[in-house]
Amino acid sequence: MKPASFDYYRPSSVSGAVQALADSPFAKVLAGGQSLIPAMNFRLATPPMLVDIARLEDLHGVEVDEHEVTIGAGVTQRHVEMSTRVAEVMPALAEALRWVGHIQTRNRGTVCGSLAHADPSGELPALAINTDADLTVEGPNGIREVPAPDFIRGPFWTDLRPGELITSIRFPVAPRGTTTRVAEIAHRSGDFATVGLVASLTRDGRTIRRARLCGFAVAGTPIRLRSVEGLLPGVEQLDETAGRTLADAAAADLEDPVGDIHATGQYRREALAALVVRTVRSMLEDPQREAS
Amino acid sequence: MERQDHDSPSAQVDIEVTINGERFRNRVPARLLLSDFIRDVAGLTGTHVGCEHGVCGACTVIVDGDAARSCSLLAVQVDGCTIRTVEDLATDGGLCPMQQAFHENLALQCGFCTPGFLMTLESVDPQDFADADDLFALLSGHLCRCTGYQNIIKAVASVWNEAIEPHGGRFQS
Ligand SMILES: Cc1cc2nc3c(=O)[nH]c(=O)nc-3n(C[C@@H](O)[C@H](O)[C@H](O)COP(=O)(O)OP(=O)(O)OC[C@H]3O[C@@H](n4cnc5c(N)ncnc54)[C@H](O)[C@@H]3O)c2cc1C
Ligand code: FES
Ligand code: FES
Repeated sequence: MKPASFDYYRPSSVSGAVQALADSPFAKVLAGGQSLIPAMNFRLATPPMLVDIARLEDLHGVEVDEHEVTIGAGVTQRHVEMSTRVAEVMPALAEALRWVGHIQTRNRGTVCGSLAHADPSGELPALAINTDADLTVEGPNGIREVPAPDFIRGPFWTDLRPGELITSIRFPVAPRGTTTRVAEIAHRSGDFATVGLVASLTRDGRTIRRARLCGFAVAGTPIRLRSVEGLLPGVEQLDETAGRTLADAAAADLEDPVGDIHATGQYRREALAALVVRTVRSMLEDPQREAS
Repeated sequence: MERQDHDSPSAQVDIEVTINGERFRNRVPARLLLSDFIRDVAGLTGTHVGCEHGVCGACTVIVDGDAARSCSLLAVQVDGCTIRTVEDLATDGGLCPMQQAFHENLALQCGFCTPGFLMTLESVDPQDFADADDLFALLSGHLCRCTGYQNIIKAVASVWNEAIEPHGGRFQS
């Protein structure tokens, strides 16, 4: 249970990192290492070179204004979770982050690393897709922006091309009156979700104006629940019948649930439907909270 | 003050770390885990290694003030950092208050998990925790196969309640 041998490289600039990645096609970026090092311990990953970007000053920024929150690739999950500036405009980030592993892993793991890892049961890829976040990616051919829904291609599979790294992610701030909840079914607290949901409701008084929901850990990528989203505007409370309609819509939105050692596809479909109803209902019962 | 040792790719790296106040300068394989550096190079075997993939928490140490899994970090990642391990807790042969509380509350049986719990607890400020649920979330990063956790919670509650509001019960489950 030790990593295979590799060359370690700590570049002094982002362009140095890009150069090294371009020169060594199987090299891997090392950010927090909270997914990569365990995988290397098991030799599930045996990269010939690690390019450590954690100390690049250029990647340490957290920029917050009324429209968006931009997080550099060197910024840890815990830093974002604890940031009062981020909490003011986008409490959804701390809400999602507290589900990501444990304090001890969040102290090292990065927000952008979670996106690059693209674990289907990760909370942050789901939040990024639910909020239409954009990733900034730098590579041998320059800088490009990729919307999160296009960036996450499949399980542990992203749109990153050889030589590219994520330099930052930009989350748009949700409209006023939005609340976001993450809900999960997991074996133990801090474990990866067996079934997960990010739910964002924008309300005007008690009435839902806009709904965005994204299921995760249920398919190869996080899945926006479009028919659920279509049913919710105008809704003030969920009675029995409306709850059933919503559950059916959620089950239908999940076309191709994954079955694995933790749960069957059918279980995931039913559990997601139940989680949607339970979460929306409890959000509607909550006194209206301001901001996202 | 960044040293320039890592400006070309290499399988051997020069690192400098301070562990419990003692400075170590070593040339180590890049693949050496921090847990193995602490145990095998620094000779501090209080840090235990259970799962080696970040799940059990036994290997938890404090890196520049924050709790981290030493099995999921390369030694080279903490180059220039200050590390504290369980050996740093007791003073003058006496246990620190949390260790003492673990002892008094039978919060350990085999003791394999204990150094990890202690280092996580050492890294945080009880003032940042509102109630028992908050404490559970903190401790959920640690697995204990022996105690059933109740006595661990009791031990922590006894120290933290005392620290925040003597005779208060904020952390009682
Ligand atoms: C016990 C445990 C529980 C966990 N629970 C959860 C959980 O519940 N939910 C969850 O989402 N995660 C969980 N994780 C994983 C999370 O902690 C990781 O932090 C995260 O998945 C990866 O971030 P990192 O910075 O550690 O990336 P690393 O481990 O350094 O890298 C992960 C992958 O992404 C690539 N990469 C990283 N950064 C970049 C970049 N900027 N550009 C290009 N490629 C990059 C690396 O090359 C590697 O392939 C858990 C981990 C552990 C050990
Ligand atoms: S040995 Fe490091 S977390 Fe288990
Ligand atoms: S005391 Fe044995 S594992 Fe915790």
